[in-house]
Amino acid sequence: MRRFWAAAALLALLLAGSLANAWYARALTEDMGARLDRAQALAGAGEWERAAQLTGQVRADWEAHRLYFHVVARHSDADGIAKGFRAVEEYLALEEADQYNAANADLMAQLALIAEMEQPSWINVL
Amino acid sequence: MFTGLMRTLILYILIIAGVRLMGKRQVGELEPSELVLSLIIADLASVPMQDYGIPLLAGVVPILALLALTMMLSVLTMKSVRFRALLCGRPSVVVREGVPDQGEMARNRLTVDELLEELRGLGYPDLSAVRYAILETNGRLSVLPFAGERPPTARELGVRARESGLPRVVVSDGRVLEDNLRALGKDRAWLREELGRRGCREPGEVFLLLADEAGQTFLTKKETGKGAERR
Repeated sequence: MRRFWAAAALLALLLAGSLANAWYARALTEDMGARLDRAQALAGAGEWERAAQLTGQVRADWEAHRLYFHVVARHSDADGIAKGFRAVEEYLALEEADQYNAANADLMAQLALIAEMEQPSWINVL
Repeated sequence: MFTGLMRTLILYILIIAGVRLMGKRQVGELEPSELVLSLIIADLASVPMQDYGIPLLAGVVPILALLALTMMLSVLTMKSVRFRALLCGRPSVVVREGVPDQGEMARNRLTVDELLEELRGLGYPDLSAVRYAILETNGRLSVLPFAGERPPTARELGVRARESGLPRVVVSDGRVLEDNLRALGKDRAWLREELGRRGCREPGEVFLLLADEAGQTFLTKKETGKGAERR
């Protein structure tokens, strides 16, 4: 029976790990998304420099967690977000409001989706 | 991770149910849970191995989950007869008193040709010698012949048969296996003497030397072309 409980413990550990990962991924991306949203509001008010600064901080945060996202998410999704940051920063530098808004919205959606994939929901399982 | 874990659990249970429904003939020599594990695990391992875009964890988590599930099922099948019957099925008697049980054969999707083929493989060219044939849970057929068709045992013949010991490899391709030599209670001196009697000067000349506790030995020289010597 010891082998049974060892196997059950491993399964429980995997389940707990996957739930913890879902919570962590959501917390991380929600915070990044909220800050990108704030940056967009700043850019809308004409404060391009502060918007670029805030976006740069979010990008630094993303880079700090790059290994984590490469371990748990598809590499193409993680690379897509890295590309999204680059585009957003370019439009911020050019102060192109329309292009920036579109690119920033796309980036926020990608961040939300990468966390969404990890969430314990029937939609994902099915 | 969660999605991968849940999908693994659902698909594993689904495939086990599918294998059970396919019947014993499809299982071969493995139990359903073992067959399913061997079917899925190789595929799971190969996906992150070939596609660098998929994280390694996507293969590791399902494999660990499958191993844990299989371990749990294996313990449950040992502990509970009812669970074992549910997971592995029960042996089916497909021939009773020399008559094929057509209902049981149909339930196991066993055709007459397959039954006869299995019986021939076991040394029974027709059904007249077979009292019972049982399709085991691992897909093998076990046969109980009529008493008159069964070869007599030494006990039935009143013959006292000598027990033979467990043969162990003492020399393999010129190398002496010291552990086996010790397990037989022999030493190098015995080995030298044994080799000398067979015309060998050293273990390097021997391809295979088997010995058992009863003192029986079997020796094949290396590349002599004379074949095996038996004592």
